[in-house]
Amino acid sequence: MIRIEGLTILFESFKIMDLNIQIEEGGFHFLLGPTGSGKTLILESIMGLRKPRTGKIWIGDKEVQDVPPEHRGISYVPQDLALFPHLNVKQNILFGIRARDLDMKTYEEYVAALVEVMKIGHLLERYPAHLSGGEKKRVALLRALAPKPKLLLLDEPLSGLDPSIKVDIQHLLKNLHSSFHTTTLCVTHDFEEVYFLGDEMTIFIDGKVEQVGKRDNVFQRPNSKGVAQFLGAKNLYRAKVLKNEKSSQRLILGVNGLHFSIPTSLYQDRMEVGKEVDLYIRPEEVMILREGKLVKDSLKQNIFEGRILDITDRERYHTIYFETTEGKILFEILIPNYAFRNLNLSVGKMARIALREESLWVMA
Amino acid sequence: MSFRYTMIGAAVGIFIFYLGLILSLFYFVGGKGFWEALSHPNTLFSIRLSLIGATLATFFAVIIGLPSAYALSRFKFVGKGILDTFLEIPMIISPVALGAAFLVFFNTPLGELIQTKGIFFVFEVPGIILAQFATIAGLTTRLMKASLDEISPRYEAVARSLGSSPWHTFYRVTLPLSFRGLLASVILSWAKAFGEFGATVTLAGAMPGKTETMPIAIFTSLASANIDKAIVLILILVAFGLLVLYSVRLTGKRVRYD
Repeated sequence: MIRIEGLTILFESFKIMDLNIQIEEGGFHFLLGPTGSGKTLILESIMGLRKPRTGKIWIGDKEVQDVPPEHRGISYVPQDLALFPHLNVKQNILFGIRARDLDMKTYEEYVAALVEVMKIGHLLERYPAHLSGGEKKRVALLRALAPKPKLLLLDEPLSGLDPSIKVDIQHLLKNLHSSFHTTTLCVTHDFEEVYFLGDEMTIFIDGKVEQVGKRDNVFQRPNSKGVAQFLGAKNLYRAKVLKNEKSSQRLILGVNGLHFSIPTSLYQDRMEVGKEVDLYIRPEEVMILREGKLVKDSLKQNIFEGRILDITDRERYHTIYFETTEGKILFEILIPNYAFRNLNLSVGKMARIALREESLWVMA
Repeated sequence: MSFRYTMIGAAVGIFIFYLGLILSLFYFVGGKGFWEALSHPNTLFSIRLSLIGATLATFFAVIIGLPSAYALSRFKFVGKGILDTFLEIPMIISPVALGAAFLVFFNTPLGELIQTKGIFFVFEVPGIILAQFATIAGLTTRLMKASLDEISPRYEAVARSLGSSPWHTFYRVTLPLSFRGLLASVILSWAKAFGEFGATVTLAGAMPGKTETMPIAIFTSLASANIDKAIVLILILVAFGLLVLYSVRLTGKRVRYD
């Protein structure tokens, strides 16, 4: 297990306070934060290149904050990859094994397996200058994994790649992780990477940890408006608690005269009547009801009528801009293309939307 | 005249200016005195002394300059700014003043101690090497720092994370990556030492067959109206200079790792 406790880094204009991260053995943890928030500084501190003001780092049972980088057993793949241009691919890959003076024979099979998974067997004699962007990423990953690190640090591993290559590398990272189980900490600002690869994540904004948790939980249930906004949340409204019915165990929230009904069981926080809260509904959780089709009981509590203001066609889905008749609340709705084709929607058309109770998330 | 031709004309003008200067030397080449001067033992001694002096001065400048350049390029430390500024002192003060400062220093108790218990510098060959070293050490450090600055510290970070010690990283990553730039720095420093006059003549004097380097020999030849010898030495200096510039251009070519 990797434990980072109370890491505080002060460097030029960066102030990173009391960072705590815990990664289970073999876990894939994401540190997600805006560009320029000091994520690379954090990696450099964990690696030992920068001395943090305070904080402790454990790799397994060993406390390593005072151990030099070369003895920490951490491999690092920077954003620019930094493949050694004067060494060929094979020499790059074996650099860590040679530098640590490890027995090459015991690593031969493992490295051969990595080369096989990475599909770079034909590139071993080439120099980095003659590799494509995707090939360079593969070699950099292999170089980092070759000495069997206890922790792999990845700095925006998918940045700067063409979309098709990005998908390849995403799959490759997933395969590598499921095959070799290297404990990994990856910093990024790309939500897609987190969706595809992450087990757990830490949201890091303005030098502070805002939320830690399982990927789905963080994306669907951000614990503050700040986190929700950073995650690009649409359909975020300021609401007021109108009723907290103990008998039916329902919470009624009002936004511009529109009422939302939510089971109180979802919330541990006290929701007194009159309290102002933030209500968040994920765009892909909003359903547009088909005319004449029966509505499930679980949806009947939150059905709203309105007009379609605009429709934009994305690559794999459509975005519908919908305004409720009552309260004039604007909803952004994401619908997969196959579903959109069946709904027969057009701009200006009246429609009804339904919200599943579990998809309504309240932040006190 | 068009913009383009004005600019190119200026560049060609500078070229003609220097080329004319060099070609004018050949007006006196070929006479009997010329060949005698070329084979004179004192001339050959000056050439040998200049080559050995400049090489040793460059060697010492690199020994101290390379680690200094690395420190200035990679680390933050107290007094870095002052240290960096001091590197320019030999470039902004007259070499004669630098040589005079050495003469004054060797008349202080510490300087006298160094000369009596260690090496004698004043009006001796070690003085030539010291004067040339003093003139080029700052330049060597500055040029090497520029070469090291071009190498991203990210390479070193990755090497360290892969288990490489700071020394191993320096030898296996930093030096090979900056080799061409460092080599160009060494060549330029050597050329500067080879042509050094002011500090050398002030500290080591101008004794033929003892401390007379090529630039000093040119000066003394002119002073004694020995034009043939002066021209021989100037042409040799020019030949070495062109060779150095060509070498630097070769090192500046893009590295191809294939």
